[in-house]
Amino acid sequence: MMRQLLPLLIWFCLPALAYANNAQLLEQAQEAYANGDHKHALALYDSVNTDYTSAGLLYNIGNCYSKLGDMPHAILYYERALRLAPGADDIQANLDLERAKVVDRMNQLPAFTLGSVWDRLQGGKDVDQWARRSLWACVIMVVFAASAILIRRNSFKRIFLAVAALALLFTVLSTALAAYRVQEVESRSEAIIMSPTVEILGEPRKGSTRLFILHQGTKLSIVGEQGDWQEVRLSSGSVGWLPKEAIEII
Amino acid sequence: MKNFILAIASFLITGVIVHAQEVTFQATVDRNEIATGDPVKLTIALGNVSSASGITTPDLGGLAVLQGPMESNSFSSINGRMSRSSSRIWYLTATQPGTYVIGPSTVRVGRAVLQTDPITIKVSKGAGSGSSAATNEAQKRDQNLFCTISLSKNKAYVGEQIIATYTLFSRYNSLQPQDYDLPKLSGFWAEEVDLGAANWESSLRTVNGLQYRVAVLKKQVLIPLRSGKLTVAPMTLNYLVNPGFFSSGTPVRIQSNSSEITAVELPPGKPADFIGAVGELRMEMKTPGTTVKANEAIDLTIRFSGRANLKLIDAPKLGLPPDFETYDPKISDKISVNGSGMSGSREFQYLLIPRHPGKYDLGDMTFSYFDPNSGSYKQLRSDSLYFNVQPGDANSSASVGTSSKMDVQRLGSDIRYIRTGDLELRRKGEHLFGSGKYIAGMVVPPALLLLLFLWHRKREEQLSDLGGQRRRGADKVAKRRLAEAETALKKEDRNAFHDAVGKALEGYFADKFNLGVAEVNAAMIREKLGTVDEGRTAEEYINLITASQMARFTPVEGKPQRQTYDEAAAIISRIENQIRG
Repeated sequence: MMRQLLPLLIWFCLPALAYANNAQLLEQAQEAYANGDHKHALALYDSVNTDYTSAGLLYNIGNCYSKLGDMPHAILYYERALRLAPGADDIQANLDLERAKVVDRMNQLPAFTLGSVWDRLQGGKDVDQWARRSLWACVIMVVFAASAILIRRNSFKRIFLAVAALALLFTVLSTALAAYRVQEVESRSEAIIMSPTVEILGEPRKGSTRLFILHQGTKLSIVGEQGDWQEVRLSSGSVGWLPKEAIEII
Repeated sequence: MKNFILAIASFLITGVIVHAQEVTFQATVDRNEIATGDPVKLTIALGNVSSASGITTPDLGGLAVLQGPMESNSFSSINGRMSRSSSRIWYLTATQPGTYVIGPSTVRVGRAVLQTDPITIKVSKGAGSGSSAATNEAQKRDQNLFCTISLSKNKAYVGEQIIATYTLFSRYNSLQPQDYDLPKLSGFWAEEVDLGAANWESSLRTVNGLQYRVAVLKKQVLIPLRSGKLTVAPMTLNYLVNPGFFSSGTPVRIQSNSSEITAVELPPGKPADFIGAVGELRMEMKTPGTTVKANEAIDLTIRFSGRANLKLIDAPKLGLPPDFETYDPKISDKISVNGSGMSGSREFQYLLIPRHPGKYDLGDMTFSYFDPNSGSYKQLRSDSLYFNVQPGDANSSASVGTSSKMDVQRLGSDIRYIRTGDLELRRKGEHLFGSGKYIAGMVVPPALLLLLFLWHRKREEQLSDLGGQRRRGADKVAKRRLAEAETALKKEDRNAFHDAVGKALEGYFADKFNLGVAEVNAAMIREKLGTVDEGRTAEEYINLITASQMARFTPVEGKPQRQTYDEAAAIISRIENQIRG
């Protein structure tokens, strides 16, 4: 009996064990970072990051890279962290510091006002925020609708029904946003240039027309791919091809 | 007698100045570059011995003996101590050009065996009597007068000290210096070593069998300032040789060798607090005290001492907080340059003025220098600095007391610190949205709501069904009660009659409006029937109920029973007609 249960027990305990192990690794990494041993801290954080992720973890990895002077990797991890937690000002501040080291000056399109409102709306503390909100809205809707059903007084009934309808609207909206967030987080549509310099070519072929030269740390959008080549778009709108190994996808 | 004369002659030629107590054993030649057929004189001299076994004949390396060996002995008594000097002399020659090496000669003095150095003789092809080759050779480097530059090391780190020694070698009796050209130095910091007046050294030096008088002309401390191959250019000197009473002497121009130094860049990993010093260094730091007053000056003295390129030390950066006003340090040197290099101390005296009271723990100051012996950077660490700055006297300075606001200075920029605490880890690719939990959370509450709604509707239906039946049945029940009342009327049972009429009226009302019998009262009736016939029906209804209740307990009757019965039946049918269920 016990022998049969044991694997089951282990299977149940495994996530808990892994979590405890992670906590230990994170503590060690924190200590190493505090002592200035950024290399060791990075190795520890990386080992946690093989299976787990979070905005805080990615941000800490970015900090390690930044301290080790690896600007493109630092930007890569800050961008990844920011994608999980779009509102976090510590991540944004460090990313801005690292971006100042990027050679290429891209004229970033000025943020469209409505677009920035939309950004703020879709952002939030983490990926699950909108999902959580939609769940709460759903619960509120149900509670108020139930109250409206059960209550006898007509005037209260109407108010409760109105609240329930609002909650329903919010539920639908936040569900849509949650779906959008997940799709955005899982999308692999942006990349950071890792090699010191890279030529953007007109075709996915060596020796084709050189369009422009970019340097490490610059952010690109990914349009398509073919074999070992990736089609990218710059923030200026120009499109070209570069070898896959030159970039890392956010 | 002949030997004695020879001994004197050899003494004069070689010009040996013998120290009394020292045993000497030397092999010398009068020249070491000859043409074929020319004679060369080899002297092996043993001096200052009381007794010695015989001097062995060295391996002559193929040179032919023209004459010898000739022996000479001399005795001298210094401070009552007898000593003997003896020498053997050969005249040698070579018939073939080439390089010949005269091997060492040995002698046994007491228990020790002394040995002479080997001598190399270059024999060039002689052209008959003259030896032009030899003179050519001599022009390149005069055998009798030359100058060398020697360096304490040929490979050094940038900033490391090298001692360059300029030495004059002469076999002339008399020399008169004319002028000289100092070597050109580029890429060096040079410091002259003060030797006083140049003097002949008291002992002779033997170079390849020839004995020279030696004078150190000049010593320099050279400090490479950049890495790479650095050259010390040759030194040129002009001399008048053998000026006599009648002649002004022969002018001779000599040029020293040039020397090369490989300067090595300091190894990478230069610490941030490196002050440019290379060598051995100590540090002392002095402060007047830890308790000071605001706006009063503090003297902070840092003294570096040791053997290093002290003159190249930069003023160390103190890195004090901006609350301390710092001025450029006063530098005072106590540096001496001697034959072993530059040593002494360099002192930096800083003037600090704390502007604001408070307790300042400035930590310890560290400065690094490079130790070329170990090839590594070394750190000097001071005691930790601590100042307790107390408020200054209000009268002492006009600036005190006026609230001089200060902008917060940004001293540097750095990334923000890592996040600590719970990082809220999750498995990669897992999101709340779309997870089983989420779907359950979105489906279960509305499902519960639906169930509640369905249950509620069913209940409502049941309730309304009950009410409707009651309402619909109200008339019938009332009629039945009225029928009972009629029976009681016929039986003349007065009590039962009024009871039946009251029950019929109350029951009907309760049934009609789905109320409990207890809820039937005047107010309720007025509320429910208030709209019918502008309230008259309600009042009538109340009157009837009140009348039947009154009649039940009092024997007096307001109206005949028949009329009461008719009025009750009439009002029920009227309400029935007016209010449709």
